[in-house]
Amino acid sequence: MSEDLHHYKCGIDRIVKKTNVDPITTQIVRNSLNSAAEQMKRALCRTAMSPIIYEVLDFAAAIYDRDLRMLSQAPSLPLFMGTLNFCIEEAVKGVGGEENLEEGDIIIYNSPYGTGSHPQDAALVMPVFFENELIAYTAIKAHWLDIAGKEPYSTDTVDVFQEGTVYPGVKLYSKGNLVKDIYKMCIANTRVPNSVAGDINAQAIGVRTGERALKRVVAKYGLNKFREAVEEIFDAGEKIVRNYLKEIPNGEYFGSGQLDNNGVEEGNIPFDVKVIIKDESVVLDMSDAPPQQNGPVNCPLPSTVSTARVAMSMLAGSNEAPNEGFFRPIEVITKKGTLFHPLSPAPCFLYGWPALQAMEVFYRALGSKHPEKVPASSGGCINAVVYWGQREDTGEPWADGSPHPIGQGGSFYGDGATCLHHAESATRFAPTEVWENRNPWLVNRVELIQDSCGAGEHRGGLGVNLEIEMLEDTFATTVCERTELSPWGLNKGKEGLANNCFLINDEGEKKSIPKATRVSIKKGSKVLIQNGGGGGYGSPSERKKEKVLDDYKQQYISREYIKEYYPEVKLND
Amino acid sequence: MASRIGVDIGGTFTDFILYNEKDNSITIDKIPTTPEEPQKAVIEVVKRNLSSETIKDIEFFLHGTTVGLNALLERKGSKVGMLCTKGFRDVIEIRRGDRDEMYNLFWQPSEPLVPRYLRLELNERMFANGNIHTTLNEEEVKKACKFFIEEGVSSIAVCLINAYANNEHEKKIEKLLRDFGFKGYISLSSVVSGEYREYERTTTTVIDSFVKARMSNYLNNLRDELKKLGFEGNFLVTRSGSGSMTFDEAEERPFETIMSGPVAGAEGAGELSRQKNNINMVTADVGGTSFDTCLILDGRPQIQFEGKIVGLPVQSPWVDVRSIGAGGGSIAYLDDGNLLRSGPRSSGAQPGPACYSRGGTEPTTTDAAFYLGMLGEGNLASGLKLNRDLAENALNSVGSKINLSAFDTAKGILKISSANMADAIREITIEQGIDPRELKLLAFGGAGPLMSNLIAKELDIKEIIIPPFSGNFSAWGLLGADLLQMTAQTKILRLNEKSINECNQILERLFKDLQERQKINFEILETIKEISLDMRWMGQEHTITLKLNNEKLGKITSSEDDIKKMFVSEYEKTFGSKLDTIIEIVSIRASLRVPLPRKTSRGLINEELSGSDQESIKCYSFDSDSIEEFKIIQRNKIEEEFSGPAIILESTAVTYVDKNYTVKKDNSDHLIITDTKI
Repeated sequence: MSEDLHHYKCGIDRIVKKTNVDPITTQIVRNSLNSAAEQMKRALCRTAMSPIIYEVLDFAAAIYDRDLRMLSQAPSLPLFMGTLNFCIEEAVKGVGGEENLEEGDIIIYNSPYGTGSHPQDAALVMPVFFENELIAYTAIKAHWLDIAGKEPYSTDTVDVFQEGTVYPGVKLYSKGNLVKDIYKMCIANTRVPNSVAGDINAQAIGVRTGERALKRVVAKYGLNKFREAVEEIFDAGEKIVRNYLKEIPNGEYFGSGQLDNNGVEEGNIPFDVKVIIKDESVVLDMSDAPPQQNGPVNCPLPSTVSTARVAMSMLAGSNEAPNEGFFRPIEVITKKGTLFHPLSPAPCFLYGWPALQAMEVFYRALGSKHPEKVPASSGGCINAVVYWGQREDTGEPWADGSPHPIGQGGSFYGDGATCLHHAESATRFAPTEVWENRNPWLVNRVELIQDSCGAGEHRGGLGVNLEIEMLEDTFATTVCERTELSPWGLNKGKEGLANNCFLINDEGEKKSIPKATRVSIKKGSKVLIQNGGGGGYGSPSERKKEKVLDDYKQQYISREYIKEYYPEVKLND
Repeated sequence: MASRIGVDIGGTFTDFILYNEKDNSITIDKIPTTPEEPQKAVIEVVKRNLSSETIKDIEFFLHGTTVGLNALLERKGSKVGMLCTKGFRDVIEIRRGDRDEMYNLFWQPSEPLVPRYLRLELNERMFANGNIHTTLNEEEVKKACKFFIEEGVSSIAVCLINAYANNEHEKKIEKLLRDFGFKGYISLSSVVSGEYREYERTTTTVIDSFVKARMSNYLNNLRDELKKLGFEGNFLVTRSGSGSMTFDEAEERPFETIMSGPVAGAEGAGELSRQKNNINMVTADVGGTSFDTCLILDGRPQIQFEGKIVGLPVQSPWVDVRSIGAGGGSIAYLDDGNLLRSGPRSSGAQPGPACYSRGGTEPTTTDAAFYLGMLGEGNLASGLKLNRDLAENALNSVGSKINLSAFDTAKGILKISSANMADAIREITIEQGIDPRELKLLAFGGAGPLMSNLIAKELDIKEIIIPPFSGNFSAWGLLGADLLQMTAQTKILRLNEKSINECNQILERLFKDLQERQKINFEILETIKEISLDMRWMGQEHTITLKLNNEKLGKITSSEDDIKKMFVSEYEKTFGSKLDTIIEIVSIRASLRVPLPRKTSRGLINEELSGSDQESIKCYSFDSDSIEEFKIIQRNKIEEEFSGPAIILESTAVTYVDKNYTVKKDNSDHLIITDTKI
């Protein structure tokens, strides 16, 4: 059995062993690298065609050195953090190795077992040359609206081949020139060709922007000094995380979580995670996971690793932009053939959902002994819904989709807010007025759900009801997890309201459809997404009376809720 | 050439500038800001520079104020009630679901400006195309009005979904609220902004309601007091989106003044550029706490159409000034990874840099510069004598922890700050497709001329311009602010001849609205109409704003093809590529510009000069990485061109000129500093 265990040490160690660079240059190079990634992000967002990229920020834009160590990544989708090294490695292999790379090349790569994502997350990888030497890569992995899977979005695939077209690492640009045959394949293999054409263009602008910015930095300091500074930057990053870990006593911490089902079969999928803190380092042991599933909830290794990186960086990173050094104290243990280390061709379209759950459970494990270090459970999901159809008047295809805000868990520091899941912490969801302009929709409400928060000394954030009426016939795929396991409280805090999603027909009949593919929604029917609340922190009896009364005045909670959770608080009227 | 006063209230100082037409003289002054009653410092500084006789000759009073901003920062505004479409009362609370600090698990948004119980819903609805879905119910408005009056609400914000496409219901609600006896302020989202995105428009409207009473009181008080002093001219206040507006208009649209702070400098830079044949420049405005930079193209600062303040979006024109927390007072420290950093924390006016001897012990950028010799002997015009030992102690307090000498720490602080400033400039230039090397660097603010040489070096910019009275340049910029009104309407149209006609109908209405809004009661020379279009490739969300410079008549006369060509070329310039799909117009923008009488570009300056006993000083040269002998030169004595290294003194700023640079004065008294190696 043990030969199936896979130990992944996250951050690659020092390469230049002895450096002689001053701390000032180091800091300037670090800032310039972050600025370069930021420039990539801005260029991408401003030229992208799909709202998934420019509003939802469902992408990663990053710069890696030749040894695939992360130099910088722009603030975007945390869940993609540090997955691109796997992706670049495979992309380069795909074109036959480093010796086949030339200046001006851009490789397209989206094989799920190399990106860690579903095929829609397509990466463009650009090698960066300095004075004819390969020194680095700029890469952007971004979500395309459609890449010709069995549906634009699926919860019921049974192998990876149903999930979309695979580009196994081929040159989309060769020495700066577009490879037209490949480009034609990209455009032919999508239901929304204009959108994909625009996004390819945007990603290419993005990686080139990064290439130019990086070259400027290297030119300024010379390659040797630049490389020395990079080693120092990583060491400093490593120190930030180790300083945080120092504060947590050595020990093993356990947490368990659960997925509702695997998308094609009934039945919960419980899983356990062990977190081991030892001498300023952390091991995330996921090896006790259930076997890989017949439905698409399998999380390929790169995303499992990324989960650990995100969870740690958000806790320990002093709100800094991470780099390779941050990852060095982190080790991930998985077992091949399981939920968190599936083997091809297991379906993995919904890879992100187990990743989200793993993050929550990681915090749950630490919280079991150190509740002040982490928040209670959030609503636990992004409750994604993807819609598509053909416009009645023009016949043009359209597609749109969004993650949604949920209640965040209460914590030692205060009540939970209402935001998107922490794995998508920079993401914005679109305004109603933008949606109604793009899509045949009437949005009936976007409102906080009374009593959805977990009670506690610090209560959870409220959930959100979002209801959309379809003005034309539409198809939708829904992915709402954690509809059965309510957001847990922490340190005697209470549970919040769980997620759900409903289809309401024009006669008002309501049907629960939390995970469903290609649901036909007739004109006049509605989709109601119930985005859950956050768990509470601390005993409700510790909550200040005036806060309970104010929550009541603002109609965050009802009279009945107070009776149940804060019975000692009496209402006058 | 009319005489005018500019008074700009900053966080630390209230700056005063007077241009007197009679003798072509310019007077500058500075007084500590009085945050509790900001008009006190304004009146005081006006009084001490003008008598009741001389003030009569002044035609314009131009004002930059932070009253609206402070109301927001301190959350001291009106009790606001909000009326909204059923299902949408939580728009301002749910926001867009993102976090200001993405890696902070525990982040919390600030409290909404209107508590939930004062946000009432109405059963009414418009479609996105402006058609009515559900008609307004008057009874509900009556009930809401009664509730608000009982609750003592003093402002009501009316924010309905899709009101930008059809404001019939909002207009009707305003009338009904008055009929039902509400006497306070009413803000309609459709009057505040004609653009879509309900979170942004609603928040802006709520801000308007929140600051209106306070702003109105303030402007009225100030007006009364200035009149008491004998002022008989016109009252103008600067806008966040450049230009100025009358006090009367500002009372109705206070949200347009929220971010006027860094605007005056950008405005002055625009004016300077226009005097120099519209040269393209980027500004480096370095004050005590922040570095502000703005790109000046074709003689104007760049305008964005949404800004952000204290985490809240403001859907209104906004001069695109990018700020980072790096100024003369920025404090250097070691981060968790033991790397040296500078800012954003600042020593402020109190205690100020360690070398000011006012109790500061942490090293600031000023301490570092002084220690290296860049501030000369450190005799400030105010009479303050800087203390070198205190600067050294402060530098050691940080440097010794990472084995750096005070000297190396000081070098490091300046290098890090200037590199951060250069990165900010790269971001604003490169994202617009502009290469910073093609620009000139205009440096001003108390520490701008000091840092300018280092910033230019980082960016390979050949020429630096230091304007006269560079430390007070922002107030000078205030004096040139044209009257400006802007408005916009979101209407998504595919570009063709028919849609151009539709744009023209919208423009006609927009210009009419603007003229009604102006409230000008003085004689004006001319009114310039300006048009621009927000455009994109169909499917994109982000737009680029295409200025139609050749359209002077208030309507579009260009053909579909012309506009298409302009858009494609602008897009290619910005992003280096183009697409082949349908082009959309998203918003139509109109502005009215009323130029004030031109002021002189050069006047006789009345200023105190800072003293120097020496002719030269030992100072660190970043160019040679060694100590060199720098000449000390009084700015007003400069006549002939000369070469660095040198330290140039004037009353409000110090300019550092390294080796391999030359300095000359142009015919408008600007210092032109040129890199001889480029």
